[in-house]
Amino acid sequence: MKPKRHKFLRAICIITFALISGAQSIHAQSDHLLQLGRIVSGNRDSITTAVKAIADQNDLAYYALMTALFNGELYLKNGELVVIGDLQEDDYGDSFAPLYTAYPQRQPILNADGNPLIAPLIDFEEIDSNRRIRALIQPYLTRMEIFHPDPIKRRIAAETLGNRGDVTAIATLRNALKKEPDSNIQNLIHVALGKLELTSPNPDIRLNAAKTLKERNNTFVLSFLRARIEPDANGAIPESNPAVQSEIRKTIQWLETFEQIMVVIQTTFVGISLGSILILIALGLAVIYGQIGIINMAHGEFMMVGAYFTFIVQNICLIVLPAAYIDLFFLLSLPIAFFAAGSMGLLIETAVIRHLYNRPLESLLATWGISLILIQLARTIFGDLTAVKLPQILSGGFELAPQVILPYNRLFIIGFTCLILIALIAFFFKTRFGLCLRAVTQNRDMSACMGIPTRRVDAIAFFVGTGIAGIAGWAMTLIGNVVPNMGQTYIVDAFLVVVVGGVGKILGAVVAGLGIGISNKVIEPFAEAVYAKVLILGLIILFLQLRPTGIFPAKGRHEDE
Amino acid sequence: MKMSKNTAMTYARPILIFLIFGIVAPVLNATGVISDTTLNLWGRYFCFAIAALGIDLIWGYTGILSLCQAFFFCLGGYAVGMYMLLKTGAQGVYGSALPDFMVWNRVEQLPLFWEPFHTFTFAFILGLLVPALIALIFGYLAFRSRLKGVYFAIITQALALGIYLIFLRNETMLGGTNGLTDFKTMLGFELADPATKRGLYTIAFTALFASYFLCRAIVNSKLGRVLIAIRDSEHRLRFIGYRIASYKVFVFVIASMFGAFGGMLYVPQTGIITPGRMDVQASIEMVIWVAIGGRGTLIGPIIGAVLVNLLYSFLTGAFPGTWLYFLGLLFIGVVLFFPDGLIGLTQLKRKK
Repeated sequence: MKPKRHKFLRAICIITFALISGAQSIHAQSDHLLQLGRIVSGNRDSITTAVKAIADQNDLAYYALMTALFNGELYLKNGELVVIGDLQEDDYGDSFAPLYTAYPQRQPILNADGNPLIAPLIDFEEIDSNRRIRALIQPYLTRMEIFHPDPIKRRIAAETLGNRGDVTAIATLRNALKKEPDSNIQNLIHVALGKLELTSPNPDIRLNAAKTLKERNNTFVLSFLRARIEPDANGAIPESNPAVQSEIRKTIQWLETFEQIMVVIQTTFVGISLGSILILIALGLAVIYGQIGIINMAHGEFMMVGAYFTFIVQNICLIVLPAAYIDLFFLLSLPIAFFAAGSMGLLIETAVIRHLYNRPLESLLATWGISLILIQLARTIFGDLTAVKLPQILSGGFELAPQVILPYNRLFIIGFTCLILIALIAFFFKTRFGLCLRAVTQNRDMSACMGIPTRRVDAIAFFVGTGIAGIAGWAMTLIGNVVPNMGQTYIVDAFLVVVVGGVGKILGAVVAGLGIGISNKVIEPFAEAVYAKVLILGLIILFLQLRPTGIFPAKGRHEDE
Repeated sequence: MKMSKNTAMTYARPILIFLIFGIVAPVLNATGVISDTTLNLWGRYFCFAIAALGIDLIWGYTGILSLCQAFFFCLGGYAVGMYMLLKTGAQGVYGSALPDFMVWNRVEQLPLFWEPFHTFTFAFILGLLVPALIALIFGYLAFRSRLKGVYFAIITQALALGIYLIFLRNETMLGGTNGLTDFKTMLGFELADPATKRGLYTIAFTALFASYFLCRAIVNSKLGRVLIAIRDSEHRLRFIGYRIASYKVFVFVIASMFGAFGGMLYVPQTGIITPGRMDVQASIEMVIWVAIGGRGTLIGPIIGAVLVNLLYSFLTGAFPGTWLYFLGLLFIGVVLFFPDGLIGLTQLKRKK
């Protein structure tokens, strides 16, 4: 579509402008001509009068103008009001700025070619404001920001209006409530209204406000509510009406309960989130350990390999894909991370680990060596710190209650872990290969006699195990940086999950992972994270007193040596 | 005839080694032929070798892989470090009787657990006893429930990680990430004095020498036979009626004390001890010293510890950035190609 040619706002042809913007009454028309004219005059007193008049109305059309005046971005160009954008400097040190219209909306001013107009600042005259004028503008801006297209601005405005205790804002808030599309912000506006109405002279309104606040489940009003029923510095209780007092008490009681429920939910969520990460890491370990009896100390580094391949795919996509589809890299990199880590695992299995079957302690040392080499390799190739961009769809979070937010990336990892679990169980119990795998785990010699190629089964188990590590690395890019030693962060915990879960049991890994994850987060509020870790270790050792071979030990007779 | 020649050999070799490292090297240092730095470096290697002997007892002879030897090493080191730091007293940067790091953590009074470390005897005894006690409790719980093999290795690694994280914290009053440093004197001797350094070196070597013979006595006793039997066939031994767990706890405790002893001699020589010495990797590196030298022999761990650390000093100086590759390859290569280490190689030749 051809961009509309902009009519510049000229002080002399304001009348033309007023005629075409026609929806308002003649009175309002002439009014804003008057105010704009006052601002154009550049005279402090006139500006102050105009700002006062504008601040009394709730007219959104002045928002751009007032913001610009507030920020010192309002200029006069040949008698027109313009707003400047970010300053640029040319080689001679002269300042240039892109220009925007000031009324009724902030829109880029285009030159004859249809490109944004960038003009030297020296040609314009700044319209000065001072602290007094800015103080007059501020409340208007907050009130208008509640209509702002940006939800974050609306959110902040709703909270500010509620806290400021200015009862004149009630009308604005009610108005905003009707237009507000976002239910979370609606809720905040309700809370702000409740807070303001709680200071109303009418006890019925106050009673209603207390009830509203109870329904809105916003624990941030607790201190405000407590202040209403407790004696202030002069010994007077702000809330005099006993009925309202008791209603406020009820509200406080409920909100306190609600706060505790939220704490429990959030702790559980964070615990499950940590647990699912541990499970994701431990699954690959458990598959390999169950199959070959080797704890793969390089497991964390296969995770790192997966993460780095995600990073590589992202960088390729940044070049190849159009900007709108850039987030596709995340989907694309999933199979690549799996196969890259898996193939590298297969390579190492063939070269090193194959020769170390039945020597678990030695293979522990050898895989540690592999991990050292992989870490150093990553450091040499990629340097120390890189990160994968969070896909747009996974940023933000699900807002359970104000300030109780479950981030989408964490939710995604929990869901993804469930998916991988289902896939793995299906692989183990529904495919022919899974059957072979289970048979070899139970009795290697007998399986070999039955014609199962045990060596090949081992190799594929290793491939799958390290591939899952790669996938874990892929998922980890959602919550952290990609660094050479990223595998080390969770790996010892993952080992513990395998040990507690029992030899190569998937279900064991799930139960142990969730158990360790949640108990970590339950202990953390009482003790620092570090002590929580040590305490968990103590609990694990005690647990192993009761069940030395884990939650789900291998059934039947098995040789130890 | 052949017999007596062998006896002569068995005595001649240790005496020769003691003469070279224990007497000739310090004398050469005093006359200026060997630099102070070199002598000091070797003195540290000997401390590592003592800790490696401990690993050899538990891993090489008993077949239990413990991945927390560096933790015990550091416990000993911290004990002596605490003693020396208290002796530094008002000579510190802030001129306070408290260690500098406490001054900057705004600690007013010396924490109670630091009090015994005012005297060397207590510091020495605690330095050995605390690791032994931890090993005793931990080992008792672990071995009683028959944790072994990979399980035990993982649990000890988790222990090492947990304690490492605790030592990193400031509020545990152990100096946090920066550890303990700025030592001035040891039992009244100036640490900066070359003669003191020479003395520490000689003590470290003598201690290693003594440790070697102590280990030999243990290994050659009936107890040692049982340990080897546990490594080779734990089940048979259990059926015969041995209480395996007690033996394992014993060897774990002894190993921890060797580790702590090495750490005690190490810290006065380096002048600093930080939690970095006891991270997960440090313990597992100690295991590789033993593997490279040759586990299940007593001279192997000593050679391994000295050799790997010599290589480390050389490579980090000559080719920075290659050390981790090299170490990684060492881990893999030793396990794949020389499971009996360097000593195994020489014995292979002799057999041929």
